[in-house]
Amino acid sequence: MPKIAYAAVFVSLTLTALKGVGCVGARTGDINRVVIWHQMRPDERSILQRQIKAYMALNPGVEIVELYKETEDVRNAFVTAALTRRGPDLVYGPSDAVGIYVATKTIQPLESHFPGEFFSQFDSSGILSYQGHVYQIADKIGNHLALVYNKKYVQRPPQTDVELIEVSKRIQRQYGYVGGRPKVYGLTWNYTEPFFFIPFFTGCGGWVFQEDGVTPSLDDSAMIAALKYVRSLRDEHKIVPNESDYEIADALFKDGKAAMIINGDWSWAGYKELGIDIGVTPIPKIVSTSLWPAPMTSPKGFSLNANVGPEKLPRVLSILTFLLSEENQLETTKELKTAPTLKTLYKNPAVRSNEILQNSLVQIGYGRPMPVVPEMRAVWDAMRPGYQAVMGGASTPEESAKSMQQLALRRIKEMNE
Amino acid sequence: MVRNKLFISLLVIPSFVILAAVVFYPFVYNVVISFANMNLYKIHDWNLIGFKQYIKIFTEPSQPDFYSVLFKTVIWTFTNVFFHVVIGVSLALMLNQNLKGRSLFRTLLILPWAIPQYIVALTFRGMFNYEYGAINLMITKYLNVPAVEWLKDPVNAFVACIITNVWLGFPFMMVIALGALQSIPQELYEAADMDGAKWYHKLRTITLPLIRPVMIPAITLGVIWTFNNLNIVWLVSNMGEPSDTTHILVSYVYKSAFNYYSFSYAAAISMVIFVILLTFSLMFMKSSRATEPAY
Repeated sequence: MPKIAYAAVFVSLTLTALKGVGCVGARTGDINRVVIWHQMRPDERSILQRQIKAYMALNPGVEIVELYKETEDVRNAFVTAALTRRGPDLVYGPSDAVGIYVATKTIQPLESHFPGEFFSQFDSSGILSYQGHVYQIADKIGNHLALVYNKKYVQRPPQTDVELIEVSKRIQRQYGYVGGRPKVYGLTWNYTEPFFFIPFFTGCGGWVFQEDGVTPSLDDSAMIAALKYVRSLRDEHKIVPNESDYEIADALFKDGKAAMIINGDWSWAGYKELGIDIGVTPIPKIVSTSLWPAPMTSPKGFSLNANVGPEKLPRVLSILTFLLSEENQLETTKELKTAPTLKTLYKNPAVRSNEILQNSLVQIGYGRPMPVVPEMRAVWDAMRPGYQAVMGGASTPEESAKSMQQLALRRIKEMNE
Repeated sequence: MVRNKLFISLLVIPSFVILAAVVFYPFVYNVVISFANMNLYKIHDWNLIGFKQYIKIFTEPSQPDFYSVLFKTVIWTFTNVFFHVVIGVSLALMLNQNLKGRSLFRTLLILPWAIPQYIVALTFRGMFNYEYGAINLMITKYLNVPAVEWLKDPVNAFVACIITNVWLGFPFMMVIALGALQSIPQELYEAADMDGAKWYHKLRTITLPLIRPVMIPAITLGVIWTFNNLNIVWLVSNMGEPSDTTHILVSYVYKSAFNYYSFSYAAAISMVIFVILLTFSLMFMKSSRATEPAY
């Protein structure tokens, strides 16, 4: 073979390899291959995988690829991919990412793709409208925090924060101490993340935005009181561990080294699976304010990539409809104890008789919807350093409240520059 | 002759295409958007605004402060590379002797390098936990000193990141140094022995000068890799915790781009990093005479 032929073969092989690399992402042109990116934890993911398998069995020739990414990653990766006209056909996650997706024009409105009666079967909180368009249809409502207790340690869940502290101290005394720390902590939660701080903030009468829904409201007496309150649970009452991020809190509860945990609905099925006899109850009322802590609630659902064209759209919508169907939502609800979005399911005996789910619905009732505006991003990023500084002893609650507000305003200004 | 040139061109084209796609284009694009105002709301319709992003970096206050992050990056890079080289070369000198079980030690010492960085980072994060982490349990039990709040205090959290990266990075320098040591002719040491040279004379006048041509490029690479090492700081400190005080420049860029969506600002800092590393590499290679032969 002459040299030129060798070179031609070499170039062809390289180009073929490059083409192969390009095919690893979603191919919006292939109408029978649908890609879904999500942030579902293992329990949720296995149900999704089962449902996808069922759809593919009913529709031979269709390939559905699901890919897990961590919550922050799914948002960032989706924006980056969709901006280059690629990315998954459907993206699944909590509703707070929708504001970012809309601002970057990476998802498309859904109202024109379905008849009106399709939307009317859902609870209103399961259909996310933003700037006059429907951008997300959820299969779960909530994504919220609640107090989870291990019935081995707690027989009657606390109703107020005073009871919570009393119960925690009693358990710690009962099981004793080793090396200066309780063998069983009364309470734990991820107190490095501001999302987990919100119930205490709202329980002290605060909210992240002013009336207009976009101006931060972080430097007020409620914030200062909430920061002092959370710090007192650790430093004064000593009922929570000295350091506790998500993994540590989760592991302590799973290992029986914490009697109660504040965690989200995504985690409860996992605790049950480990054989922990759990109960779920609203986060106890704060006596000094007479307010129930209000965790942020949000639907979790599917949004449609702006790059899905008319040829592929029917297939994607068919899959979306299937995943949101009554049968599939009931399966998810039964296994994960999460609140469904279809109204009919709330009359289902399996839903009505489920104690965890019913208590979860009470907590949702106390909750407040998570704002979907992009400014929420700035608020999270502004709250995190100040909150951590208070918990780390590097700053006072007053100083942190001030710095949070200033930082949030600066971030929003930068976003709009 | 023409056929030969055509042949060579065809062989070069694929590499050129790949380089253009994954190096030249992103670099040029980064340069362009560093002079623009691309952010969350102007992601599609951004405009060129000149040097405003660069002026902002150097003159406007930021959270975290740019100069503080730059200073931490220098500390991070210097400390890490220093320990990588000192530990790596020391271990290489030991492994270069006729030790019993040398191959076993060599395998064990290379292990940190073989484990994926993110696994190491997350494991170390768990080990640095105040109450349940292995490190505090050991120092309180065996050294009888109080437990350290590794991840809650800004300085300790940064030290925790450095310890993790030192553990991860020394095997690379050790392997490089060991290779260089094995290429030194034994006759030089024999001649030194005959002259009555002590071990430190041999180290200073034979070993170190002869491993220099290999170690200088390795150190240069080590500096660049460490300067741009996002994984360890990001994962050990959980995205810059506490309170964004453990950032180095590259994690600050990542946060600016993908948490704050300030793409142009992040691109401008990337260019600053590029200039710093380019200047350092050129100066270091020149001052250390790395390109000169050892013999």
